[in-house]
Amino acid sequence: MSALITSRRLIQLLSIAGGLLLWEGFSRFVVANGLFLAPPSQVLREIVRLAISGRLGHDLAVSALEFAVGFGIASVLGIVLGFLMASNEAAKEASEPWVQAFNATPTVALAPLFILWAGVGIWSKVMMVVIVVIFTISINTEAGVRQTSPRLIETFRSFGATRAQIFLKLSLPSALPMILAGLKLGTARGLIGVVVAELFGARAGLGNLISESAANFDMAGLFSGVLVLAATGIMLTAVLRWLELRLVPWQGD
Amino acid sequence: MPQAKLLASKVSKRFGARLVLDRIDLSVADGQFTSFVGPSGCGKTTFLRIIGGLEHASDGEIRIDGQVVDRPSSDRGFVFQTDNLLPWRTVLANARLGPELSRTTSSDERERTLRLLKLVGLAGFESHYPAQLSGGMRQRVNLARALAIDPKLLLMDEPFSALDAQTREIMQTELLRIWEQGRKTVLFVTHQIDEAIFLADQVVVFTRNPGRIKEIINIELPRPRALAVKRTPTFARYVDHIWSLIEHDVRETALTT
Repeated sequence: MSALITSRRLIQLLSIAGGLLLWEGFSRFVVANGLFLAPPSQVLREIVRLAISGRLGHDLAVSALEFAVGFGIASVLGIVLGFLMASNEAAKEASEPWVQAFNATPTVALAPLFILWAGVGIWSKVMMVVIVVIFTISINTEAGVRQTSPRLIETFRSFGATRAQIFLKLSLPSALPMILAGLKLGTARGLIGVVVAELFGARAGLGNLISESAANFDMAGLFSGVLVLAATGIMLTAVLRWLELRLVPWQGD
Repeated sequence: MPQAKLLASKVSKRFGARLVLDRIDLSVADGQFTSFVGPSGCGKTTFLRIIGGLEHASDGEIRIDGQVVDRPSSDRGFVFQTDNLLPWRTVLANARLGPELSRTTSSDERERTLRLLKLVGLAGFESHYPAQLSGGMRQRVNLARALAIDPKLLLMDEPFSALDAQTREIMQTELLRIWEQGRKTVLFVTHQIDEAIFLADQVVVFTRNPGRIKEIINIELPRPRALAVKRTPTFARYVDHIWSLIEHDVRETALTT
């Protein structure tokens, strides 16, 4: 078993190393033009340079704050909305068309509007994150609550359970895996929201680093921003995965 | 004659225009083990669900210890066909669901439930999750959960039908062993004639369209019973007799569905 895991890890590492090597060779010998593509060795040096100068830390902190505030608001509101939609038919019918429409629309297109409303500071990005994340979470929450097993509801009834008990002790834990799946989906969408909003106008942030670098044909800077974003996305997913194992251990195994 | 533990009088049930149960009268004495047997669609499960308060009778009434019942309550423990355990709870936490819902948990109750888990053969599995257990073990948890509320009546709806044949026979002897410890009043629905006879003091035979009691047969086999009793001539005579009562219905069902 552990030998199998080790060999899987090995394949993954080889794949990553091979990809970086290809990128390095391609940008050095095929493109061979720093205005179009920077090799990973140069990007890594640039990341170190940006980190030492403090620029990277500041951009990362600003983007992280925008993401965290927006994601926090979206999670709370999305979960509440999802439960409302699952437990009340009128609320469901009233919100359904809006939720579906917003969820299907590439709402990142609203970024210029939010910047017009809230300026180039963090609040326009927070609004962006909320709007791209909230409906994904509410749709998942609603589905999670609805899939509560009717057999389990009947079991609770046979013990004389009240509606509140059925909700708290059955529907809520039943919905937890779906809610967490919604949060995972929302993470990726939220990151996109932050970056796109920053591209449209910001004073700091990883999107700002990327757009400034692009404007200066600084490929190493541009790829630094992208790589740090990728690492952030992977890390956030890992955190949620860990949370999932802690909160819903019965799902694994 | 002592007062009946359970008294059903003229219980009828209609689903729309269809009459599922037609004026069922039944009396069950305290500590008696009663099996309901009959072809699919004879209303035996519906009758059990009405007794459990999960469904309402269209007519008639059910009394337990003289009290009319019309909703679920902790005086009846229901064991479902599927185990219906909460996957996020350990065996012990699942077994304590009933006391938790009626807000009667206590350290005494916890000790009692732990003893029940031991009684049903799950000592050492208290902190396992349902996904880690076999089908037979999950049904044992299900039984312990129903017993944990210390019900006056234990209602079992084909609890072993999802198990393989060998496990089912083991669970039948296990159920009798557990029942001998406390002699609860048990109502046990099954479609297996031999299971009904092996377990019960009285077998209630239902027929369908509409659901009626065809005959109530007292099983006079000595207790405690071992599986070998199923191979005795007396047992075979009971089987033949009950089979002759429902054969016509069963053939009809088999041909039309």
